[in-house]
Amino acid sequence: MNIYTGKFAGLDTTIHRWEPRAKFIGLMILIFSFSFINSLMLLPVMILISTLIFIASKLPFSFLLRRLSIPSFFVIAMGIFLIFFSKGTIMFKLGPLALKREGITAMILITVRFFCILTIIVTLFETTPFLTIIKVMNSLGIPSILTDMIMFTYRYIFLVIENLLNMQMAMRLRGFRNRNLKDIVCLSSLVGSLFIRSYEQSERIYYAMVLRGYEQSENIKEEYQFKKIDIVFTIAVVMIAVGMVSIQIYFNLGRV
Amino acid sequence: MHVTDGILPIAVCAGGYAISGLASWYSLKKINEKKEPKKGIPKASLGTAAFLAASLIYIPVPPTSVHLLLIGLMGILLEYYAFPAILISLLFQAIMFQHGGLTTLGVNAVIMGLPAMLCHYIYKHTKRFTKNSNFMNGIIGFSIGAIGVIISVLLFYIVITSFIPAHLDVETEKKAVYTLTIAYIPLAFIEGIFTSLLLIYLKKVKPEMLEGY
Repeated sequence: MNIYTGKFAGLDTTIHRWEPRAKFIGLMILIFSFSFINSLMLLPVMILISTLIFIASKLPFSFLLRRLSIPSFFVIAMGIFLIFFSKGTIMFKLGPLALKREGITAMILITVRFFCILTIIVTLFETTPFLTIIKVMNSLGIPSILTDMIMFTYRYIFLVIENLLNMQMAMRLRGFRNRNLKDIVCLSSLVGSLFIRSYEQSERIYYAMVLRGYEQSENIKEEYQFKKIDIVFTIAVVMIAVGMVSIQIYFNLGRV
Repeated sequence: MHVTDGILPIAVCAGGYAISGLASWYSLKKINEKKEPKKGIPKASLGTAAFLAASLIYIPVPPTSVHLLLIGLMGILLEYYAFPAILISLLFQAIMFQHGGLTTLGVNAVIMGLPAMLCHYIYKHTKRFTKNSNFMNGIIGFSIGAIGVIISVLLFYIVITSFIPAHLDVETEKKAVYTLTIAYIPLAFIEGIFTSLLLIYLKKVKPEMLEGY
């Protein structure tokens, strides 16, 4: 299964060493500034920045491609739809279909924005241990109920998936073949059993946690130390983000 | 049915985050009114994990197969934890599977979370009719399962058709929305049947799960 593993979080690069709070804030601002860009002229800047950040993280390129493969399908499908079904100037005709200039512009914008944003997201989450990200969210004021839920979900999701795979294997060994719509009855019992198992397990976990003082525990805050380089790095990234947005607004670019 | 990064303008993404913030605030307020607010966290988290896992199950609809959204079921089982649970599920899907996105997390949470909250309220006000009656459980489960999908689909298409950057041809847009909405009717039907079967199963095997967290 092609999922987040955090196996590259242990590397030692500038991006990995970047103070987690500063990295989280800086890269999130960058991601949102990317989604603001509507001008084709600013796309090379976006590509350059995403590429530089990705190269600096030393994550394998093949890994990024694997992560991009499935969602790319939807974005490319949407892009093709936009090319043919937008309103605007016809560039040339392909039988009953007409290629529109505005559609092509929209497709390029959406595709590039998507790839740049996803590259930054993959870099952010693969260069920072997940628990650290939760601590960062908590220290930025996200309520502890939410961060606790994120932490527990992360802790148990692999266990629940393993439970599900075991139960599915047990069903197959007993002759179940998921081929017809009538199999929905067995599948509903499978999901029901999965929920019941999780529910019972959660009760045991809760009481075990209370015995270890969970009700008294407060936020999972952790002290982080800012270094000069972290501040410089964050300011640089934020300046780039603000710069791109300002250029677009000031020069009135981005009319698609 | 996730909106991916890069498609929506930033104002819409910000709007999605604002509505999600309000819905989360309301849910957390209701959770904090409980006697032991933290007691539900492990259950809601395991429930979230189970929902994420259950979305990996495919229902065969020859010649293809569909995966379940389980929005209605989340509303029934997780109550006020449903919206935070959906927000967290979407966060995990964006990080782990690259489904959806971080900039569109708020919008996606609105599309799926608000129907889940509605389903919770529908179940809360109708569950008194379900006592010991498989038939009534089935009817209510079907309605909630189908309503969850239908409202989500409607919200999704409103967002997509209103806010994508290029102005699509109006006629084509109407046709596309119409076709895609019709394509989701079988899913709403299947989800309704699945939710009703599950509700009957849970009522029989573990009724306390339906009594709330």
